[in-house]
Amino acid sequence: MNQLASLAPLLLVLLASLIILLLEAFGRWTQRSWHATIAVAALIGSIFLALNWWEKSATYFSGAYMMDKVAIIFMVLFSLAGILVILLSFPYMVDHGFNRGEFFSLLLLAITGLMIMASSEDLVVIFLGLETLSVASYVLAGMKKQDEKSSEAAIKYFLLGSLASAFIILGLAFFSAQNQSLNLRQLTSLATDKLESPLFLAGLCLLLVGFGFKVSLVPFHMWTPDVYQGAPTPITAFFSVGPKAAGFLVLFRLFYSIMKMEADVSSIQTIIWILSVLTMVVGNLIALRQRNVKRLLAYSSIAHAGYLTIALLSRDGQGLTFYLLAYLFMNVGAFAVLVALSAKGQEFHELEDFNGLGERRPWLAAAMSVFLLSLAGFPPTAGFLAKFYVFSTAVKQGFTSLIIIAVLASLVSVYYYLRVIVHMYMIKEAPALPAIKAEPPLLLIVIFFCLYGVFQLGLFPARLISLIRQALTTSLP
Amino acid sequence: MITFLPLAGAVLLIFIPGERKEWSRLIALLVSLITFGLSLILLVNFDASQAEPQLVEKATWLGYGINYHVGVDGLSLLLVLLTTFLFPIAILSGWRYIDQRVKEYHLFLLFLETGILGVFVALNLFLFYVFWEVMLIPMYFLIGLWGGPRRIYATIKFVLFTMLGSLLMLVAIFVLYSFYYRATGVYSFEFSDLTKMVLLPKVQTWLFLAFALAFAIKVPMFPFHTWLPDAHVEAPTAGSVILAAVLLKMGVYGFLRLAMPLFPQALAKFTPWLMVLSLIGIIYGGLMALIQKDVKSLVAYSSVSHMGLIMLALFSLNPEAIQGSIIQMVNHGLSTGALFLIVGILYERAHTRLIKDYGGVSRQMPVLAAFFLVCMLSSLGLPGLNGFVGEILCLFGVFQVNKIMAYFAVSTVILAAGYLLWMYQRVMHGPIVHDYVRSFRDLNKREIIYLAPVVLMMFWIGIYPNFFLRKMDTSVNLFLKKIQERQKYFVLQSPPQPPVTVITESAGIDDDLILNKQSNEMLISRE
Repeated sequence: MNQLASLAPLLLVLLASLIILLLEAFGRWTQRSWHATIAVAALIGSIFLALNWWEKSATYFSGAYMMDKVAIIFMVLFSLAGILVILLSFPYMVDHGFNRGEFFSLLLLAITGLMIMASSEDLVVIFLGLETLSVASYVLAGMKKQDEKSSEAAIKYFLLGSLASAFIILGLAFFSAQNQSLNLRQLTSLATDKLESPLFLAGLCLLLVGFGFKVSLVPFHMWTPDVYQGAPTPITAFFSVGPKAAGFLVLFRLFYSIMKMEADVSSIQTIIWILSVLTMVVGNLIALRQRNVKRLLAYSSIAHAGYLTIALLSRDGQGLTFYLLAYLFMNVGAFAVLVALSAKGQEFHELEDFNGLGERRPWLAAAMSVFLLSLAGFPPTAGFLAKFYVFSTAVKQGFTSLIIIAVLASLVSVYYYLRVIVHMYMIKEAPALPAIKAEPPLLLIVIFFCLYGVFQLGLFPARLISLIRQALTTSLP
Repeated sequence: MITFLPLAGAVLLIFIPGERKEWSRLIALLVSLITFGLSLILLVNFDASQAEPQLVEKATWLGYGINYHVGVDGLSLLLVLLTTFLFPIAILSGWRYIDQRVKEYHLFLLFLETGILGVFVALNLFLFYVFWEVMLIPMYFLIGLWGGPRRIYATIKFVLFTMLGSLLMLVAIFVLYSFYYRATGVYSFEFSDLTKMVLLPKVQTWLFLAFALAFAIKVPMFPFHTWLPDAHVEAPTAGSVILAAVLLKMGVYGFLRLAMPLFPQALAKFTPWLMVLSLIGIIYGGLMALIQKDVKSLVAYSSVSHMGLIMLALFSLNPEAIQGSIIQMVNHGLSTGALFLIVGILYERAHTRLIKDYGGVSRQMPVLAAFFLVCMLSSLGLPGLNGFVGEILCLFGVFQVNKIMAYFAVSTVILAAGYLLWMYQRVMHGPIVHDYVRSFRDLNKREIIYLAPVVLMMFWIGIYPNFFLRKMDTSVNLFLKKIQERQKYFVLQSPPQPPVTVITESAGIDDDLILNKQSNEMLISRE
């Protein structure tokens, strides 16, 4: 019974997804607000159900599913991201004429996949979660059927994503050749000679490629800008937060157990080191040349993946989790502002469209500035503390040269984030834009909530951090 | 408390409707005046015989050594006062000229005040860094929104230059933090804890360079000064005043509070180089000031020159020089601030900053001419005014250490006399060449109100500097004693712990740690 009860948060989301699908098929409503309401209610319920498990974490189905504190934190993160994205998409969908119920169903399905990924230690189950997520994501990216770019994004994402999945499968096959079980905990107890065997290392690298694709590490990042730009903006916000968090959690669990082993893992460390540097440098440098803000945020998210990789390397679960939470608020916030800038089926995401935004819509511009400054890592915002924790732990572990590269890369990022602010405030000539009606209240709620998150995490995160530490010490000994 | 009052004012301003320009001005002025009042209470309660920080507030913030810990001592007291003193004046200076986005302008000014005060009072390295960075945001907007034609270039240059330094400093802070943890097993960012630790010279060298770069960019010392003229020229008057009068002091203060006490060995090693750089700054700044066509950039380069003298004195490491450099920081704040105010007043009337566009102004504006003359003389160090006190102390101090340097340093006075008097002559005297000069109105009441206190202070410091100097005696002496004591040390002073396990693969730090461990063990074996 307990086993089923522990599945409740996950099942609730899945159930809601199916109900919405049925409603869409047989219901008579032209208004989809019911669908959205059901979805939000399910996610909120799932948050409460998950939090309910905080004190009694347990592992079921022989390690295939576990409800530990880390999983709970990430489930809450995904549900939050889901709620914010649904609130964003509802006005957006109506505006852009793809008002369809299966959108919410797919989104919930994707979140189910994310939750499965976060709450398992078995690589096969993780892969199942990943596929659930991916298939839903491919469709979500192409939701704007009339839009060529959206379709292009879907196809590109699908082809490259399948390739990445193939890599993961092959990696798993290599692993299982060494060991009966694909459970991460049992991998730790493997004998040293097996761990150092080329087959095992090759499998590890293949997994790294596959998950590196999902979290968009350079050089597996090629899909990111196109998919981010083509997908509907709220979905882009979701892609940049959800799959990234889940992917990093899986990578973290994987490398955490591997680096705990007796074997010589310096070659793996070197690979991650190089990936991290490449991701930070390439992401930031290419972002410098972008004229489209959505694309710019895509490259910035690549750069952030680079910083997160540092946390992988220094086995810094606390920094990683905090960074992902902070990133949720600042990035969804920035995308919410982008959503607010679209009007009647058109989107205005060129830098020039931001000219004089500070005059036209001062509150929106101020919120955008806060999110950008947070992404750039200025105190007193969440972005600063997130970088601070990750970097300081890495230095403590002796990765000083890596951190010097990281801070120089983030110096580059300051330039392009500030350039958006320059366009919003300091360039007068306004573009010829259609008059925009006031923001829908749902959007304002999202933006306000993200602002709150950015400052709360930036100024008083002590409680959250102690929760994260508690979770890590109990779940990842 | 003082630190956050301006911020509270800024938050209040958010809720004032933007059309009520007068309201935002009044509120900003009131808030800054109350802050100044509170800092006077601080002055009264300050006990000059105590060397340690006083009026301390401490609270746990994030844990792991990150505390909210503030207080003032003799080194920071005057700078806090200078800051709170100048902000109301800066706000008054833009009373009429700033007519667009008035609310935001004052909001950023108050925000900036919080950042600057925070830097001066912070006693926790993390807190220090947070304020140090926070301060960039309002300054970025102040230059970028209300600045001159090349403001975007200037403001981005300003931010990127400062960030470059401070991010490298951040890495150094991490290293310092982890060294402290390895040495003692306790996490701490407290200045008082970190300065107890004596690191190996090789480590000190790198960390010192990172800190010194951040602060040298801020001061700015000679090769890192290129952002300054741009930022000054493009900033609005209040921006220039704050930038010159207070922001640059943050760099010097950083040296004084952090770079020097934390890394005494490295300091000893680099002192000659830093002194030469300061000297180059003095002469180069002075010469550049001589050839400027633009009044504002002339004053900006004069800042480079004056700051050079302050740094030179600071590195001489004797009581006279350090006291001189602190008092000279205040003086430079007053006189350069006042010069920027005056340039701002002229600019409001003529909308040009070029020297050749003026001439004969004193006939139309005798009151301004008088103020201008006093400020200028104060800046070039005429006895009886504040500049003289600071410069003479600085030069005395330098003279004790290195006579040749002192000879060269005297050139700051000569050069200053040259470029300032020449500028004054071209702007204020001579025949009226341009007709629009005839339409200049003399100072109005508001302008007199904000210039008068500055001039008053110039006379006060010039005639009776002891009031200020005695406040810092004990702190300065303690500061020097600590540095000298610690320069003799060579091992970790903090209680050694069993050698730390090192999980690392990167070069550099690794060897240092081994050395570090050895020294730890040496200490143990000796015991």
